[in-house]
Amino acid sequence: MLRAVARRRQRAAASLPNRDAAMKGTTAMVVSHASPGAPRFLPRAALADLVTLLQDEGFTVVGPTVVDGVVMYRPIDSPDDLPHGVNDVQQRGTYRLAEGDPELTFEFASGPDSPKRFLFPPQQQLMQFRVQGEGFEVTAGPPDVPKIALLGVRPCDLAAIRVQDRVFGQDDPATFRCESEPWYEQAREQTLLVAVNCTSPGGNCFCVSWGTGPEAHEGFDLSLTELRDGFICRAGSPRGKELAAKLPLREPTRTELDLAELLMNRACEHMGRALDTASVKELLEQKREDSHWDEVAQRCLSCGNCTMVCPTCFCSTVTDVTDLSGEETTRVRSWESCFTHQFSYTVAGPGRDSLRSRYRHWLRHKLCTWQDQFGVSGCVGCGRCITWCPVGIDITQEVQALRNDSTSLPAPIAPACAFSSEGSPP
Amino acid sequence: MIAHVDVDGRPEPICGMDQWMPAPARILAVQTENFNTRTFRLQFVDPVLREQFRFAPGQFNMLYAPGVGEAAISISSDPARPGVIDHTIRVVGSVTRAVDAAGPGGLVGLRGPFGKPWPMKQMEGHNLVIVAGGIGLAPLRPVIYSILNERDRYRRVVLLYGCRTPEDRLYAHELEQWEDRGAIQVLVTVDNATAAWTGPVGVVTNLLKRLRVSAQETIVLVCGPKILNRVAAWKFLQLHVPPSRVYVSLERNMNCGFGRCGHCQYDKFFVCRDGPVFCFADIADVFAKEEI
Ligand SMILES: Cc1cc2nc3c(=O)[nH]c(=O)nc-3n(C[C@H](O)[C@H](O)[C@H](O)COP(=O)(O)OP(=O)(O)OC[C@H]3O[C@@H](n4cnc5c(N)ncnc54)[C@H](O)[C@@H]3O)c2cc1C
Ligand code: SF4
Ligand code: SF4
Ligand code: FES
Repeated sequence: MLRAVARRRQRAAASLPNRDAAMKGTTAMVVSHASPGAPRFLPRAALADLVTLLQDEGFTVVGPTVVDGVVMYRPIDSPDDLPHGVNDVQQRGTYRLAEGDPELTFEFASGPDSPKRFLFPPQQQLMQFRVQGEGFEVTAGPPDVPKIALLGVRPCDLAAIRVQDRVFGQDDPATFRCESEPWYEQAREQTLLVAVNCTSPGGNCFCVSWGTGPEAHEGFDLSLTELRDGFICRAGSPRGKELAAKLPLREPTRTELDLAELLMNRACEHMGRALDTASVKELLEQKREDSHWDEVAQRCLSCGNCTMVCPTCFCSTVTDVTDLSGEETTRVRSWESCFTHQFSYTVAGPGRDSLRSRYRHWLRHKLCTWQDQFGVSGCVGCGRCITWCPVGIDITQEVQALRNDSTSLPAPIAPACAFSSEGSPP
Repeated sequence: MIAHVDVDGRPEPICGMDQWMPAPARILAVQTENFNTRTFRLQFVDPVLREQFRFAPGQFNMLYAPGVGEAAISISSDPARPGVIDHTIRVVGSVTRAVDAAGPGGLVGLRGPFGKPWPMKQMEGHNLVIVAGGIGLAPLRPVIYSILNERDRYRRVVLLYGCRTPEDRLYAHELEQWEDRGAIQVLVTVDNATAAWTGPVGVVTNLLKRLRVSAQETIVLVCGPKILNRVAAWKFLQLHVPPSRVYVSLERNMNCGFGRCGHCQYDKFFVCRDGPVFCFADIADVFAKEEI
């Protein structure tokens, strides 16, 4: 276990965009020992071989599937379960699946679901115990860590996993931050990550602003860039290299490589949103008090959707569930949202009573105080909070409004090409 | 990143830093302090833990009432005698009521100690002004015990304590003892006097008028309701006590106690881990702000 911790510390240290670089929006991924292997080509038909190979190695393969009109991560039996020919339309407060290119499998952007659910489950039993004579007898621990291969992880979500590594994984006990969480640690070690680079970013994506996408540079076992006949495939870890060796890969042609590069460049130019990340921390340090918070409070419903879909939000509440006899207690940890009253409640009343203060806390935590706490931004630019906000509150616009020092919203950002020549594709 | 100063002197919590399993403890005795507050004397069931457990003044435990839940409660006993642990509890809700109902002999659970303690090392050689309001005296009692244990390490010590009525005073008996022994000066004020009360009436910060504070040699410790914390800190700053010598203990909602659940956030801080005791200099820019 200790070795695993040390390894993870190394990994996290090597992989996290440092604050200055991240804030300039440059590509901050330090290419380390984990730099991806040479590009190879995986023919489209061989995607099935990959799934079978993973299954043979004992993994439950989890991938994007269409469930109730949205893309969700679910166990799949074969590539047939993936959302072929599906595109999505995402706007502020809007998500619709649309007909996409029938020959493409990964033409959609992030849905409401993220890999967070598999490493930090929405609800999890920590232990079960009963009062037994002079003490508490533990009758059960947390559930076993499932052996999962996640197929189709987006680059922003890989970055989000690295952010959560800092939350759950690798604090220094010498500074009295917590030790790594054993369940997370094990899930993280065990879970295999097959990334899929984004060739068709969504209407609310802004990973380019943070340098977290649209192409994954590390933090995966395998990465895929989808072309028509197959995928450019890279291995990003020893485990990925072993897998790659068992797949029917071939050398990619010059044209295929050029096309993949073109697709990545085009994706950079097609971010639906943009966030001026430069000095956003300093901005929010100055904006503890601003009339704009009152303005947002007029719109925000305090539903907490943004926190539930965010791949980095880590707040939780542990509660005790007791059987009728009152003897057997189950400690359950559930995702919590800072938008609830209960979250900050003390006997003197809620710490953050007004809506204004709760939105302010959320936004400032994501973009400002998170960096003090964990040395990295709490936002990776996935755009989920914009899509799933029922009233379409847009984090990028709120920052812009705070910057403009105005109480009214700025003109909406054109949904395409927000980063043209200015953008710095990773 | 947040600088974690003062980490030395912080004892390792029993059961590690992030174990959610409370360790069983027995209620040995219960002392009634006032109409809704009692001091519970606890002892770990496990003799090994009794030996191992250490805490520093200002730290707290997550106190568990079986089948009900947990509450953050400061340790109010003498750190030099960590084999028994006092918790002075205002009975206000589900957990505190359940602990109260368990009574002497009852079984509860503890996780801890958590949090950053009062700056005992820095306090040596200084004049100390301790300002407490209501239940806020509980996390300061270990400070007073530590001072009494090694009185020569500190210079003049004054305790300013405010509560609603004379009957509401915590540790009434001990307050008199401390005063009588002459080891520390104790000034108590009440909001509402009773017929028998001959002491001052009014808010605790009024007591400041009775003191001469040598700004450069004094360290101030404050724990009370939000309004008291604010007014007290402000008054001492007005008396030119540097912000780096004013310490305040804050209350927030707490769930984990070790910096993971997010509930206790106060600007960039996790109060359970970076506090509850804060140096005013570190929180000066948010302290007067509402709903942080
Ligand atoms: C560092 C620290 C030290 C404290 N020391 C003491 C002490 O020495 N003596 C004392 O009497 N009280 C102390 N408190 C306050 C004490 O934690 C609350 O009064 C206690 O949580 C009330 O619990 P309850 O279940 O009985 O109350 P309830 O009112 O039943 O609580 C209802 C709900 O309110 C929430 N809640 C209310 N207050 C808090 C809180 N402060 N933290 C977390 N959740 C809360 C809980 O989630 C609970 O589910 C301290 C608080 C903190 C943060
Ligand atoms: S704050 Fe919004 S855009 Fe940023 S990572 Fe969270 S959900 Fe995605
Ligand atoms: S405080 Fe709010 S924004 Fe921050 S992690 Fe918790 S739920 Fe997310
Ligand atoms: S109480 Fe959980 S983070 Fe402070």
